[in-house]
Amino acid sequence: MSRTATKPRVTPSSGKSGAGSGRRPSPLVLADPGKRGLALLLVTGVILTIFAGRLFEIQGIRGEALATAALDQRLRTTDLPALRGAILDSAGQPLAVTVEARNLTADQTLIKDAAAVGAQLAPLLGVDADVLATRLTGTKRFIYIAKGLTPQTWDRISELRLPGIMSESTSRRIYPAGEVGANVVGFVGADAAGLGGIEYAFQEQLAGVSGSQTSERNPRGRVIPTSSSNTIDAVPGQDVQLTIDRDIQYVAQNSIASLVRTSGAKSGTVVVMDPRTGDLLALATAPTFDANKPALSDDADRGNRILTDAFEPGSTSKLITLAAVVNEKAATPSTWIKVPGGLERGDKVFKDHTPHGTLNLTLTGVMAKSSNIGTILAAERIGKRKFARYLDKFGVGQLTGMGIPGENRGYVPPLENWSPTTFPTLAFGQGLSVNAVQATSVFATIANDGLKVQPRLVSGLIGADGTVTEPEVAPPTRVVSAEAAAQVRLMLEAVVGEGGTAQQAKIPGYRVAGKTGTAQVVDQVRGGYSREVIASFIGMAPADDPQLVVAVFVNEPQYGRYGGSLAGPIFKDVMTHALRAREIPPTGLKSPVMALTYKG
Amino acid sequence: MSGSFVADSPQVSSFPTRDRGIGYWRNLDWLLLISAATLTFFGSVLVWSASRADLASESDPQSYLKRHLINIAIALVLGYLASRLNYRWLRAYTPVLYGASLVLLLMPFVPGLGTTIAGARAWISLPGGFTIQPSEFAKIAVILMIAALLSERRDVEEEPTSRDILWSIVAGAAPIAIILVQNDTGTVLVMGAIVLSLIAISGAPTKWVIGMIGGAVISIMLAIQLGLLKEYQVQRLTSFINPGDDLGSAAYNANQARIAIGGGGIQGYGLFAGPQTQGKFVPVNESDFIFTVVGEELGFVGAALLIVLLAIILWRAAMIAWRADDMYGRLVASGVLAWFAFQSFENIGMTLGIMPITGIPLPFVSAGGTSMMTTWIAIGLLQTVRLHAASDSRI
Repeated sequence: MSRTATKPRVTPSSGKSGAGSGRRPSPLVLADPGKRGLALLLVTGVILTIFAGRLFEIQGIRGEALATAALDQRLRTTDLPALRGAILDSAGQPLAVTVEARNLTADQTLIKDAAAVGAQLAPLLGVDADVLATRLTGTKRFIYIAKGLTPQTWDRISELRLPGIMSESTSRRIYPAGEVGANVVGFVGADAAGLGGIEYAFQEQLAGVSGSQTSERNPRGRVIPTSSSNTIDAVPGQDVQLTIDRDIQYVAQNSIASLVRTSGAKSGTVVVMDPRTGDLLALATAPTFDANKPALSDDADRGNRILTDAFEPGSTSKLITLAAVVNEKAATPSTWIKVPGGLERGDKVFKDHTPHGTLNLTLTGVMAKSSNIGTILAAERIGKRKFARYLDKFGVGQLTGMGIPGENRGYVPPLENWSPTTFPTLAFGQGLSVNAVQATSVFATIANDGLKVQPRLVSGLIGADGTVTEPEVAPPTRVVSAEAAAQVRLMLEAVVGEGGTAQQAKIPGYRVAGKTGTAQVVDQVRGGYSREVIASFIGMAPADDPQLVVAVFVNEPQYGRYGGSLAGPIFKDVMTHALRAREIPPTGLKSPVMALTYKG
Repeated sequence: MSGSFVADSPQVSSFPTRDRGIGYWRNLDWLLLISAATLTFFGSVLVWSASRADLASESDPQSYLKRHLINIAIALVLGYLASRLNYRWLRAYTPVLYGASLVLLLMPFVPGLGTTIAGARAWISLPGGFTIQPSEFAKIAVILMIAALLSERRDVEEEPTSRDILWSIVAGAAPIAIILVQNDTGTVLVMGAIVLSLIAISGAPTKWVIGMIGGAVISIMLAIQLGLLKEYQVQRLTSFINPGDDLGSAAYNANQARIAIGGGGIQGYGLFAGPQTQGKFVPVNESDFIFTVVGEELGFVGAALLIVLLAIILWRAAMIAWRADDMYGRLVASGVLAWFAFQSFENIGMTLGIMPITGIPLPFVSAGGTSMMTTWIAIGLLQTVRLHAASDSRI
């Protein structure tokens, strides 16, 4: 630079000839502006070189590690919940379904005019606009505005394109039939996992397998536009198809509920079964609950007492005894049995429910009159060992095989522990316990010509692709011969006939066979029997070609006591409806007249 | 109005107009102009990439880019006007410009006018959502003022007097004090670097230069020790030393910047495809941290190209200073050089984790209207200095 000696004027030499060009020979003084400029330029060069080096270190040498760190930071995995399978009745009607729903959320900081947004949302949500406006005002980045909206409602909201208004996907379990079948279907908890009934028993199949979505997200959680993502699809749950017929279930439930009300009973139960397939068409109990609002009901009412409660069957169990006797050919329906007023066995005198002198009853008469003494005498014709085998073959004290958790298997004392009074006691239905389905299954076996079919509640699991998997069922087992079963059915017809204990169960036009029961309830506190009873009636129709079995149990009624009068009419109601619903015509044949007594 | 050399050299006044027009275009430093324009264009693309993701949900994702382009258009016009300035006139009116810039600098304190961004009350809000940052204009005013002070009475070769140097320090200290109060630490450092460089280049005695450097270091130490700086300011300044420490947002920024740049590798993810950029992991990456955008999306290749463009601009500025035919022009060019250099070093350095974090933009590249305008005015001033020297040398 510059500055030649030529004083006043600015000099031309400055231009290209460059800097301190020889002007001062020795001046390595730092104060020389040219040197200073050179120093500055040098420093600049050094710094730029350092930058380039640093840049290369970060990008070239550590680049991969930093890229991995960056990726870790961006990758977020979210669950893709699997759609829970439905629970369907035998005709495919929904008893429990999961519907997609939307929770409406908002980022308050993105909402500029809360009042206007509130006014637009109000009619769609059915909420006051002012309330919404207040809710939308603030600095929160995430709030819920409404939960469980239908997808249609959300579509209409999203069309408004309101900044700051968002939604998250969720689902809702709904039970379209409400109380109908609630005790069978069960319910789910807040996390959508089954807590009762089929919802619990088939949790794994219904739930499916949730998937996941891994995507790159920014610090606010939004997906980065140009990034890639990896999705593992959820496997939706399977539908569970029940054998339950929603219409029969509805009638059964209504009938038993009204009986429980009018009789002041603690509870009541109705089981409807197809004896040929073992399909349970209705499992009704009262009181029950609304599966949509399980929290509003008592624990006891949310369960399925049909399977979880075992009780002494009482007189309905005489069917086992008398069928065994007939099948062993130790007696026929017309065999004479002299029934004394009392019968001493062991240290006990057994009596019938109404005192009487010595009666001349046929085996049919023993059944129709429900004579304890007559049943004991008949049982003694085959002995306790054979009798015990029949209890076993009929399934008493064994799980039904339906695979529902919590089923009560009932109880039969082991043969080696029997005292002298045990055999006679068991013969007429005390000292052992069964659950309602086991009790029904005994009648179904007789109805199915002596062939025992495993009761079932689930007819199939339906995958998302429509494939149906049928649950495994134990093969049928022969308990008594077809002839014996037919003979026993004739005896059961007499129960409903003239002189029988259950004439209230008669259905005009149809032949009906059945048996009453009035079992004393074991006093759980003091031991022994309490005053309370379980009144029951289990029957089938048409008696000469049984296609339906209906069992009715009334637990501890306060008004009325006998199976015939309490349970009989309910049987008639439900059976009549079920016959109509299943379009089962009468066989058109008349019941033969069976002699109940003989002239001795 | 131009025609500065007419006044300077009356004897050539017979052919001014014609020659002036041709001379202007011929004598422009085209390499400087093209480099600056390329870098500005480059910057716009980066600003676009950084802002579009952020605005994706808004009605016009390009709105930020549009405003940036408007700012550039204004900046180019201002740059052109600056290059056409009458050199004499400029020198004569420097005190007025300086005074005006001080007044402007005080405006953010006027209630209703001032706006606080990132903790610094350094902006004046204008209607239409635009803001201006007076401290950017103060950089130019300080350069012009100190250049004028130090080149006075220096037609003969001699060192500037202590008196001139003292006045220069005062001229620099006044705006620095105001900017300090505004809490804009980054700009204070840039101004300090400008003042120091100008005094050094002017040929001031070595003792002054060393004394000023020492003074600056001591005052920074004192400021930290006496707690004059706010906690977050200290954190920003020290976080680059221990980036792993949990020092809140400053360390977060430094770490995120490093991750983004590192992820880019040699070739980068491609424009608009840098996940950390598009995900806005690095805060203010359209402005202070814009270097992370080029680092991630265009990789080492792009980042190095950006540095090369900056280096060309610095080199051209140095050549203009070198060839200036008077001390005033040399100091103006040197001031601009010091400004660009320090600000680029600081900005890129903090992004790379080798300088403390302060909130200053990268010249030509970062979004920011006032910065863009003053940067281009500075390019205009460099051209003026060159044109003046060229016209003289041709005589």
